[in-house]
Amino acid sequence: MEGGAARLAEAVHLLPVGSVPPGTVEALAARLSRRVELACHVLSPRDLKVRRIPNRDQLDAGALLEALEARATADAGLLVGVTGEDIAIPVFTFVFGLARQGGRACVVSLARTDPTFYGLPPDPALRDERAVAEVLHEMGHLATLEHCPDRGCLMSFAGNIERVDTRGSRFCPSCADRLPHWLRGPAPMPDLV
Amino acid sequence: MSATTAVPPGTLRILIVDDETIVRDSLAAWFRQDGHHVDVAESGKEALRLVSAGRYDMAFLDIKMPGMDGLEVQSRLAAADPELSIVLMTAYASVETAVKAMKNGAYDYIVKPFDPDDLSMLVKRAAEHRSLRAENIRLKKSLDTAAAPPPLLGASPAMQHVVDLVATVSASDSTVLITGESGTGKEVVARAIHAASPRRYNPMVVVNCGALPEGILESELFGHEAGAFTGARARHKGKFEAAEGGTVFLDEIGEVSPKVQVELLRVLEEKVVTRLGGTTPVPVDFRIISATNRDLQAAVKEGSFREDLYWRLNVVHVHIPPLRERPEDVPVLAEQFLAKFAQSMSRRPMRFSPEALDALAAYPWPGNVRELQNAVERAVVVGRNEVVRAEDLPLRITQAPAGGPGPGSLAEAERAHVLSVLDASGWNITRAARVLDVDRVTLYNKIRKYELKKPENGA
Repeated sequence: MEGGAARLAEAVHLLPVGSVPPGTVEALAARLSRRVELACHVLSPRDLKVRRIPNRDQLDAGALLEALEARATADAGLLVGVTGEDIAIPVFTFVFGLARQGGRACVVSLARTDPTFYGLPPDPALRDERAVAEVLHEMGHLATLEHCPDRGCLMSFAGNIERVDTRGSRFCPSCADRLPHWLRGPAPMPDLV
Repeated sequence: MSATTAVPPGTLRILIVDDETIVRDSLAAWFRQDGHHVDVAESGKEALRLVSAGRYDMAFLDIKMPGMDGLEVQSRLAAADPELSIVLMTAYASVETAVKAMKNGAYDYIVKPFDPDDLSMLVKRAAEHRSLRAENIRLKKSLDTAAAPPPLLGASPAMQHVVDLVATVSASDSTVLITGESGTGKEVVARAIHAASPRRYNPMVVVNCGALPEGILESELFGHEAGAFTGARARHKGKFEAAEGGTVFLDEIGEVSPKVQVELLRVLEEKVVTRLGGTTPVPVDFRIISATNRDLQAAVKEGSFREDLYWRLNVVHVHIPPLRERPEDVPVLAEQFLAKFAQSMSRRPMRFSPEALDALAAYPWPGNVRELQNAVERAVVVGRNEVVRAEDLPLRITQAPAGGPGPGSLAEAERAHVLSVLDASGWNITRAARVLDVDRVTLYNKIRKYELKKPENGA
């Protein structure tokens, strides 16, 4: 059964929040549109005036998600906040992204998907591929999915960047069965033989 | 959802206790995404109410909360549910508090903010820990059934008294001295005490003190360091260390030399051993059960056994009467041995003929239960059908004059008695000499004098 976000989704809107490297959200939308059956739009950047966590150079992901959910009206489709800044909820050192199960909005940070964060040479393609995987993971939560025990599944928990890379970018068959059609991705091309 | 709601395997029932809403909500959402069942409490009082009302696997507990202090809540939660894995959370890393929490029995201690990976690993480890603990309990239950020693059998009031005493003493950790003639089953009683004691999942180590020369006994009991003596190439842990958490059974304690008696006394008093050639005392946790067929009180009086050690070993005294003083136990034991040997030799169920039972009842059993067991084993080996006949039993049993004094002369009586004890002990010279209360050389002289010969078939 498709309810909540699943029923409402007709398009996905990517909203740049705070400091975001130029062109990254557009690149992300292009990659995302190849993975979902939804129109992917990039909205104009907004200053949501989200609070920072005291004594930490991080945006409060919980507060950011609340602000996004307030903007995600019933007829607006899904709203994905994309920020280049590091985010966290106060009880954790950081999060890659945040979503409420069955909600209409989520947030992802590009800070820790960027190899330069770990002192490595820049690799925009790798950064964007990781970011797409994070957006799809959070969208899985919007579609009411929980974390998956299959470590090769996109819905498995990743607490560090190595796990983000090793869990891959696909949903396991069990999670795929529970996904709404628009998140399963385009049907594969039939064999031409 | 209530705390008692069934959850799928692999998921945990988690309780989050923190006065800060943001922490409760963030952690609850986080764990729910992992499929765990989560409840929250904003105070220690609320946490106690929830834990008393339902079962949780794990609790995340903030140390600093208004009202009841986190460490106090921890103690109360642990008292309400000893199985609960409690993780303490704090915003300030304080080694002192962490040590206090861990000493208090906390499963772990984490400092806010948490690394998501660390938290995930902690919960995974806790789930594995709980699963291993559950498996351990399950295995111990099957071990209780599979490895339980045979019950102590006996219809006589004397044996019933022993059974009752074993049941009482098993629950305690007191030292036990078991006395009785050779072959009465002192080790069987020691094993029954160990098997019913809280130490049953740890080893029971048996040391036959009479079979080892002084130097070797010391090394066996206390261990030795490499180079302690010629041939000591590597460190060797002694029996006290090997029995860690379990029971040391010192058989034939009456044979221990005065030097080893002193060392044993020290180990019993201080609960530490120092390996031969070593200088570092090693703490050891054990229970002592000792046994002897000698009159230790007489040995104390004559000065060959230390009185202080005697009282240390003899906190509880279990005496096993000889089989001749409890004839009603003979058929009960004989039937048990018959069933055991018939099964182990893949024979059909067997029974005794009335004549065989009469012969067993009339015999005085100088070798006690061990002799009875040997006689029944022989009967199962030589018997050709399902009924054990009197002629299947050893000759000494069927030809024993009922209650009579036996042959006429003293020499004839001695010859018959020595032969009977040798047969009963399976011609084990050491054991027979001990039953006869003579040394081995004397026994060899008697064998030569009376031209006694070991039977070919060992019967």
